[in-house]
Amino acid sequence: MAKAQRGRRVRRPSKRSHGERSGREGALRISRRALLKVAGAGALGLTALGTVPGLWRWGGAAPAQLKGTSLSILQATYFIPTAQDLYKKQAAEWGQGQGVTVNTDFLNWPDLQPKISAAIQAGGYDIVELFPGWNYLYAENLLDLTDLADAVAKKGGGWEGFVANDIKVNGRYLGVSHGNSNDALNYRISWLKEVGVNLPDPAEQARTGKILDLTFDEWFALGKKLKAKGHPLGQALGHSQGDPPSFCYPYMWSNGAMEVEKDGKTVAFNKPMFVDAMKRFIQAYKDGFDESGPSWDDSSNNKAFHAGQLSMTLNGSSIYAVALKDFPEIAQDMNHTLIPKGPAGRFSLLGARTFAILKNSKNVAGAKEFLAWWFDDKQYGDWIHIQGGYQLPSTKKWAKDPMWGKDPKMYAFSLQPSIGRDQGWAGPPNAKSGLAFSKYIMVDTFAKAVQSGDAAGSIKWGADQLQAIYGG
Amino acid sequence: MPDLHPAAARAGPLSAGGRGTYPRSLLEREPSLGLLLMLPGTLLLVIFMAYPFFLGLWLSLTDSMIGHAGRFVGLLNFVNLINDSIFRQTARNTFIYALVTVPFKLVLGLGLALVLNTRIPFRNAIRAGVLMPFIVPTALSSLGWLMLFDPIFSPFSWLLKHWGLITRNINFLGTPVLAIVSVMIANIWRGTPFFAITILAGLQAVPAELHDAAAIDGAGAWQRFWNVTVPIILGVMLVSTLFSIIMTFADFQLIYVLTKGGPANETHIFGTYAYQIGLSATAIGQGAAIALYMFPVLAALAILLLRYLRREVA
Repeated sequence: MAKAQRGRRVRRPSKRSHGERSGREGALRISRRALLKVAGAGALGLTALGTVPGLWRWGGAAPAQLKGTSLSILQATYFIPTAQDLYKKQAAEWGQGQGVTVNTDFLNWPDLQPKISAAIQAGGYDIVELFPGWNYLYAENLLDLTDLADAVAKKGGGWEGFVANDIKVNGRYLGVSHGNSNDALNYRISWLKEVGVNLPDPAEQARTGKILDLTFDEWFALGKKLKAKGHPLGQALGHSQGDPPSFCYPYMWSNGAMEVEKDGKTVAFNKPMFVDAMKRFIQAYKDGFDESGPSWDDSSNNKAFHAGQLSMTLNGSSIYAVALKDFPEIAQDMNHTLIPKGPAGRFSLLGARTFAILKNSKNVAGAKEFLAWWFDDKQYGDWIHIQGGYQLPSTKKWAKDPMWGKDPKMYAFSLQPSIGRDQGWAGPPNAKSGLAFSKYIMVDTFAKAVQSGDAAGSIKWGADQLQAIYGG
Repeated sequence: MPDLHPAAARAGPLSAGGRGTYPRSLLEREPSLGLLLMLPGTLLLVIFMAYPFFLGLWLSLTDSMIGHAGRFVGLLNFVNLINDSIFRQTARNTFIYALVTVPFKLVLGLGLALVLNTRIPFRNAIRAGVLMPFIVPTALSSLGWLMLFDPIFSPFSWLLKHWGLITRNINFLGTPVLAIVSVMIANIWRGTPFFAITILAGLQAVPAELHDAAAIDGAGAWQRFWNVTVPIILGVMLVSTLFSIIMTFADFQLIYVLTKGGPANETHIFGTYAYQIGLSATAIGQGAAIALYMFPVLAALAILLLRYLRREVA
């Protein structure tokens, strides 16, 4: 931009008066040096055309240096299989057009981070998908993509709040966010009605804005009734990075505790209100939940819900998406609502997932070209649409997309970004919050509590672990 | 073949034989031939064992993070780990895991070997079948166990419920005691064939004449087993046991697939915790220190093993 401005400066009229400029003398006079500057700015502009989304010349000539190269992309496996297939197809199409061999690998969520760590040490991947916080953990090994991220944000009307919170590392974008998968309370309509719950009409939800509004205590009480009828609630508490933390972090925040205060140093985990809330959760887990949750991973509650074993569970809309295809009677009988609220409010664990380029990539140019192309509205939009709301987009303009009105049962998910908080909140997102997340401190605190029945002891254990991370 | 002549060999590589005979004479001299034969193995050991080991040793003495070379911190990682309650739990789990499973594997393996050593129909096919748990890739068989231990769809739970013995599913991997017991059962299943086949090899070396002689002297089956068979296969049993302890201490795949160290770290062993801290939490220096805590135990066992083997050879 600075160079372009310098280029414009050469067009300034001479200091002669307007009347003096006539004929040859009045024409714009450009020195050779100025001409070179203009040419330089023009060249920069042309280069930018190749990287700014929307201006990418899909179908045009590929940059010669990309032909014959290869590009490897690593990301988490999808819970919406059609979206994974679409991504593979898109990548293959781009590769074909550019003469680039594209390899796309999809890993089970808990296996993704170790693989990225190995790739940073030993190479092998160009583009990797980062879960929230990992951009801080791997900051020194990621390419600065500020130009591209700024262009994507500008084109999309700005980042969604949950994205803006945590994607800048020391003022730089070390990747471009694609948003995150959604999360809400999935419930069986008939079973809730059976225990006397007054449910909103799914078809009217979006118009009235009314969804099933529960506090955690109300949810637990409901669970007790449902379990008595053989339809327990389900909540995973195993070593997995999706569903277990999606419950544990919000429950802590809703009950007045947090990993760390705003200063990022003062651990605020062991709070009396949270200890009391944990006591209630321990009792509720016995009374209303399927108690095998401590051994569940991210897919366990999906399978159990589809098997008719659960009445309510926190999950993305992947349960619903699969049910629409394979279990239509369950899809018909289910709906979604936001996670319950507690005395301190209603929260959802929601940070940004990004596509980043590793510094040790052997094909930085190809990786940048691909990301610029993929974040164009056509590709990104197709990818968003095929997931029917499972993927929360990263920029604001998609909030008004007609996709949200297509299925009224998806309405609750459109509200989720407004209550999203990143791991480590109220402290700043950084490597320490990422470390606490990777060590499953929060999840293990809850698992210990339900196993031992000792709320205070489990929270003290968690606070000690957090102190070692944040205070060390 | 002039260079095979004793005189040429005595002349040495640089004398009468000339340059053309140098490599051949090198091959004929026992010390140099020995060195040459050792070279490929040594290279493999240096590249794949010694280098990673010393790199791990160095990393454990630094505060390295993934992609970020750390600085030397001495034994700080080791000291910090002693104060880490998860690490202490991990150490406890590892010892329980190894010290409980190995005796079971030894006893079951011995029993299996004795059965397989008798004349039974389809003996060879059964022997091959017994090896299956050991041959099948652990990651694959662990997935099988994951399905068997599924909290909701476990066939064990289904069967027991079907028979009216239980009313609700068994939470195999979700409670502290059951979780470690379950992973130990899977480990015993996988490790028993190793004992069975090694001990079977030892049993086949027991001369039938000794048994016959003992029988003539009036020894019963138990006495023949205890006084004839056991002394002969004792060495094999000892070596198998030491090997198995080493392998069990260094286990990873089975636990990683089944529980990833959960619930609440109840099944973490050194390998899985080192992996979690070193690669997931990116603290590669501390991860290396966790893995190295195994080293003294494994080194002591390896020394015992080597001393025993040397004594046997002598």
